[in-house]
Amino acid sequence: MVSPTSTFDLLEQAKNGDREALSRAFEKHRRRLAVLAHFKLGSRTPEFADAEDVVQETCLRAFRDIGHFSYQSPGSFFRWLSAIADHVIVDRVRYRNRECRAGEEVRFRSETNPLGPEPADTKTPSRLLAQREAIERLLDRLNALPEDYRQAILMAKIERLSTAEMAVRLNKPRDAVALLVYRAVKRFRELSDASEA
Amino acid sequence: MDDDREQSLADAFADLLDRRSTAHPPELAGELAALSEIDRVLEPAPPLPGRLSGHTIVGEIGAGGMGRVLLAVDEALGRKVAIKTLAPRYAGDAGLRARFMDEARAMARVNHPNVARIYSLGPAEEPPHFVMEYLAGASLTAAAARLDFREKAELMAKVALAAHFLHDQGIVHRDLKPANILVDADLEPKLLDFGLALDLAGEEHRASLGQVAGTPEYLSPEQAAARPLDGRSDVFSLGAILYELLTGAPPFHGDTVSDLLRAIREEEPALPRRRAPGVPRDLQNICLKALEKDPAGRYASAREMADDLRRFLAGETVLAEPAAYARLIAGKVGQHLRDLESWRHDQVVSEAEYDGIRKRYERLIEREDAWIMEARRLTLPQVTLYLGAWVLAVGAAFLTFFSYPALAGAPAIAAAWAAAIPSAWLGIRHWNRGNSRVAIGFLLAFCLVTPIAALATAQEAHIFTAVTQGQLRLEIFHRLDFAKQATNAQLWWSLLTALPVCWLLRRFTRAPVFSLMFATYAALLCLATLLRMGMLDWLDHDPGRFYFHLLPCALLFLAAGFIFERRRLPDDSRYFYPFAVAFTWAALSGVAAFHEPYARWLNSVLPWTRGQVEYLFIANAAIYFSLDRLCRLQSSPQLRLVGHAFRFVIPGHVMTSLFLLGLDAQSHAEARAFEWTLPAVACVFVFASIPRQMKNFFASGLLFLAIGAYRLQQQVFPGRAFWPVALLAAGLALMLIAGNYAPLKVTLARSLKKFRLP
Repeated sequence: MVSPTSTFDLLEQAKNGDREALSRAFEKHRRRLAVLAHFKLGSRTPEFADAEDVVQETCLRAFRDIGHFSYQSPGSFFRWLSAIADHVIVDRVRYRNRECRAGEEVRFRSETNPLGPEPADTKTPSRLLAQREAIERLLDRLNALPEDYRQAILMAKIERLSTAEMAVRLNKPRDAVALLVYRAVKRFRELSDASEA
Repeated sequence: MDDDREQSLADAFADLLDRRSTAHPPELAGELAALSEIDRVLEPAPPLPGRLSGHTIVGEIGAGGMGRVLLAVDEALGRKVAIKTLAPRYAGDAGLRARFMDEARAMARVNHPNVARIYSLGPAEEPPHFVMEYLAGASLTAAAARLDFREKAELMAKVALAAHFLHDQGIVHRDLKPANILVDADLEPKLLDFGLALDLAGEEHRASLGQVAGTPEYLSPEQAAARPLDGRSDVFSLGAILYELLTGAPPFHGDTVSDLLRAIREEEPALPRRRAPGVPRDLQNICLKALEKDPAGRYASAREMADDLRRFLAGETVLAEPAAYARLIAGKVGQHLRDLESWRHDQVVSEAEYDGIRKRYERLIEREDAWIMEARRLTLPQVTLYLGAWVLAVGAAFLTFFSYPALAGAPAIAAAWAAAIPSAWLGIRHWNRGNSRVAIGFLLAFCLVTPIAALATAQEAHIFTAVTQGQLRLEIFHRLDFAKQATNAQLWWSLLTALPVCWLLRRFTRAPVFSLMFATYAALLCLATLLRMGMLDWLDHDPGRFYFHLLPCALLFLAAGFIFERRRLPDDSRYFYPFAVAFTWAALSGVAAFHEPYARWLNSVLPWTRGQVEYLFIANAAIYFSLDRLCRLQSSPQLRLVGHAFRFVIPGHVMTSLFLLGLDAQSHAEARAFEWTLPAVACVFVFASIPRQMKNFFASGLLFLAIGAYRLQQQVFPGRAFWPVALLAAGLALMLIAGNYAPLKVTLARSLKKFRLP
């Protein structure tokens, strides 16, 4: 993962009004966010469209609210995004039948709205799609795991929580968490091997 | 693994994850690799390069496992171009890089309006890439969403022709899928990515299946099994694409890649019309033929598939007749027969229905080959083929039966065999080339012409000229004074030559039609044998004797059918039984009607019968009844049908005889007896229809009941109002009983019990 600037630098520039920088920072987390959203949506299919909607919406809200974000640690931006995604998902459930989107408040950059966020996904609709098939295979495999194993892998690899943080969240000793993660990854690896055989 | 060891591994793993340590215990290598794959999949897209081949990159069009396709502007020419790049993680691999470039060069050779063009190859100092035509369009499935079936077929025909063009250039696309076919606003499809992604994917395929670039839904079974490929692999993919266009979903599904690949290798796709009932049958056939598992069963080339699609568009008959149907039928039939067996056991269906359905199904299974189905369809070539065979046989028969001064002697023999030998030769040739339908036509013609040609030979060569029993009047051809004369012996021998021919052809082609021919010739041979025994004389003076001599023929055929069926050759026995039944009917009826010793014997044993023919027919009915019983003792399904045929004629024999005996009665008492017996027996037959579901028992019973009632009206109750009123009352009573059958039965059973108890 080679980035010209760290997430921290990008976010600092973003808070100073550099929308391009925020776009790039967001781009770095886009896929992980999508996978997380996919499972938070409770979807059991490898259909990815809903998660992509959530990511899009999260992106718009992040642009709107970037002023409220304060950088604390390397994982904090993703955690902030994931919290926004939670709200988006709750709102989706709440307004399932109504179109109520931040998109009505914040529009992507266009000639009439030169300050809107850089529409990474309108210029390149397949940015996320680029690895879509690979991602869907990954979702397949994650879906095949038992619930607790899947949660462990999502926490460890997608949210990038340390085992200590996981121990707090799961209210378990770190030993037990380590064992859970290890077993989960082991099963995940077996699934990967099986699908390649 | 013991718990402590697992915990220590887990702790080491957790430390690695938390980046507290960097030591890699070798046991964890696999787990770490699996996790790093997650990172690789989810890593953000690398930034776009600024310029490639001097073109300004303005965006990304798409990406797959192997690389990305970028949108660029060729500023010199003022046009958009697409630039295909190899993913950086593969760029370091010299072998892959060389192949990427090789495929680009191969692609440059192809110049076809439905194949995306390549403009230039990236210079060596830049990252590997090549510049292609930029295509604005939708993927095939997106474009086809609003098209009707004809437009879809037209689109697929173009795609198939483009694929054929690639095959002609020695390129197998290997990754034909809707995403790789762009359709522009004029509905012109363009193939992308041919050879390239595929060849590379093939490489990767061998390395690790989990990373096959692209979805494997359109792979062929030989790709899924990693067997060698040719153009027919693309034909399969075209079939899968057509399937998706027709039904909205690809033909094969699986929860995992390996499930999907297994399905592609082993499962038959659901019939497209099952998924989308509006799909035209011909398009379904084309699709299924392209999706045959065995490449030899598919279209031999993409062009043939395109031709068939064009035939559909032109409203002509398509050639596709996928064997999948026949297999489907065979599979489903087995299941249904098992169901039937249990239904019969539970008496949901009667024995007769079971036999009937079973018989029909066995005929279906018998037609396991597509060509047999095709051979049964009345198409122009098919009709012409059999018309030709028939005209050939008729022409040969003329040569034998009529004398032509210009064709006397050897030329007649030569002409007859000149028809027979080439049809055999052409038949075998077609058969060996797999053209079974036409082959059977020729071989049947040969079968028909052989005995005729043999007869012509015997006539002209003057062999077997001995006249039957030295009497010319016993010769059948002598009676036909317009015909060229042949002896009974010549006829007999020429029929005999046909038998081994039929037998050999049956063995050679395994087509049951030659069993039918064999049985027919054998029946004719039986008659020829009777001719040589003096049949014509019997017919003139004592026809009963002729019919009596048919009995051994009937037995012969019955035995032949029975033996064949016992030896598990139901396709052969099937054609002997009908002859056996026909011979038996003819023989027994003829003997009853004409055989004087039989009547005399009856007269001497039962003088009151006066040896009347009607009693003999009643006796025949008894014989048929016992024959039916005998047949039912055997477990063979075909023999049961034979028994059914015998049973079928019983009511007609019995009731017609009773009716005629009534008309012919010599005394008042006798007349009364028959007038009352006929309706009584008719009632018996009406009820006898129940156990074996004999509908003809029921119908003929009703008919003769009415006739009997009429006879009683005329002879016993003339002008008496009592008779019709009694009939009205009886009819009403019967209907009331039927309407309250169950309660009546219970009451009856109770009162019977009471009656018995004291």
